[in-house]
Amino acid sequence: MSKHIMFHGRECPHCRAMMPLVDRLIAEGFAIEKLEVWHDEKNADLMRSYRPVIAAKCGGQLRVPTFLNPETSDAVCGEIPYEKLKEWASS
Amino acid sequence: MKKKFWRCFVCNDVHWGFKPPEICPTCKVAHAYVEISAKEAKACLGPLPEPGFTKADFRRAIEVFAAPNQFKVNPDTERVDLLLEGMFSNEQNHGLRYCPCRLRSKDFEEDLKIVCPCNFLIHETYQGLEKGECWCGLFIKR
Ligand code: SF4
Repeated sequence: MSKHIMFHGRECPHCRAMMPLVDRLIAEGFAIEKLEVWHDEKNADLMRSYRPVIAAKCGGQLRVPTFLNPETSDAVCGEIPYEKLKEWASS
Repeated sequence: MKKKFWRCFVCNDVHWGFKPPEICPTCKVAHAYVEISAKEAKACLGPLPEPGFTKADFRRAIEVFAAPNQFKVNPDTERVDLLLEGMFSNEQNHGLRYCPCRLRSKDFEEDLKIVCPCNFLIHETYQGLEKGECWCGLFIKR
């Protein structure tokens, strides 16, 4: 299975709320890389490089948290239920 | 159309916009604004006060801003504290109090749209919803 990415911000409440769900999926064996974007410019630039894919699905903007499958360009953002997150992680 | 700088010839208030205010909001004189250069505008502001705006100042400012509006600052203080922490660290690291729940694009004009408070009235999390809130939940509908 390809590596999935969660782009998050350290001081973003939505990201904080989603973190336990992401950790649960990781504990279940899903490969999800967590990349912080406000305090790490390399991660921020990586997220910007996916702008066309992310913005198309996230209100025209780069929002956090964004859950991205770089291989399929499958992206979801914001606070979403565990089932929807698992669906994304399984894609 | 580009925004320009304007100066009140009576009280020296500086305005940045497409048009000058018809009545000066400070000295109330009508038709008092003349177009000036960016250099003059900057010089008119004089030395900026130090230290700058604290988190407490900003919190007070957004309470005052929200008071006459249809929204209020979220009473969830833990959430508000976290957001303020993010905005102030963004200001320190990136120059402006950018929204902690989005990422700046590095296009200055574009990124002005995510300086807090942003125009959240157009967010799909706010517009048309009974319990609307800005994308981050800093402001919520009354
Ligand atoms: S979404 Fe809310 S917290 Fe974020 S910039 Fe706009 S008003 Fe501020």
